[in-house]
Amino acid sequence: MIGLPYYLVVGSILFGIGAFGTVTRRNAIAVLLSVELMLNAANLNFLAFWRFLTPAAMEPHLFVLIGLTVAAAEAAIGLAIVLNVYREYGTVNLDQIAELRG
Amino acid sequence: MTAHLGTIAFVSLTALTILPAIMVVSTRNLVHAGFWMLPCLIGVAGFYALLEAHFFVVVQILIYIGAILVLIMFALMLTRDVMDPKERQTNAMGVWAGVICGLGLLASAHMLFRHPWVGVTSHPGDAHAQTVALGKALVTRYALPFEAASVLLLAALIAAIVIAKSMRPPAASVGCDGEVSGG
Repeated sequence: MIGLPYYLVVGSILFGIGAFGTVTRRNAIAVLLSVELMLNAANLNFLAFWRFLTPAAMEPHLFVLIGLTVAAAEAAIGLAIVLNVYREYGTVNLDQIAELRG
Repeated sequence: MTAHLGTIAFVSLTALTILPAIMVVSTRNLVHAGFWMLPCLIGVAGFYALLEAHFFVVVQILIYIGAILVLIMFALMLTRDVMDPKERQTNAMGVWAGVICGLGLLASAHMLFRHPWVGVTSHPGDAHAQTVALGKALVTRYALPFEAASVLLLAALIAAIVIAKSMRPPAASVGCDGEVSGG
């Protein structure tokens, strides 16, 4: 039986890859994909803790369900914003959308 | 024998999750990045199955792959002509972000393996019992967070429609909603 730290390490690797992509990607939609990776890592950690520490509790499932809802909401809002930005600027390159830069 | 099978499943699921995840953040063709997301999400669903969270295997495949990934693929294909696949897709922070993420990973792995986890050996209930318990919890004790999540999702969908509709009208026909996106 694989122990809890292995699952947590897989979750942190997934989170690290997602964080790397969020920081380095130039395309706004690719950044959204990386954020989805990080949300998946968080859900994986929730369920790993549930399985190994409190298998009788219901709350981790609630957290994962609400995390999924937030991920769906984030994808819908993010893509609406990205499509609007595309229509407004003609690009989704985050390096060129710098109107708020001081 | 079962322990062996569990280890093999864990290692192959790790490969199925991590390698596509690396491709998602590194490949230059963004449509390919979207498609690489698919095995990654399936791998995470496999981890859920290994963790005996049966309900969330189905939810992961239905919602993440069936809804969120399809939505992102639509957006990728709608804006595909903008970014040339031959162009570099990462900004100048690549090296430093890689170093910092790698160091963070090593530190967290070190701490995770050093910590003495007090695990319980009992198993969660079977798929039917888990789903029944979750469904009952969602309409009794945790009805409020469940409704809050529903309202959040509804608000997000309405907001997405409003944001996506509020485009600047074409220059030839400045209509009644001409100032919607002026700011």
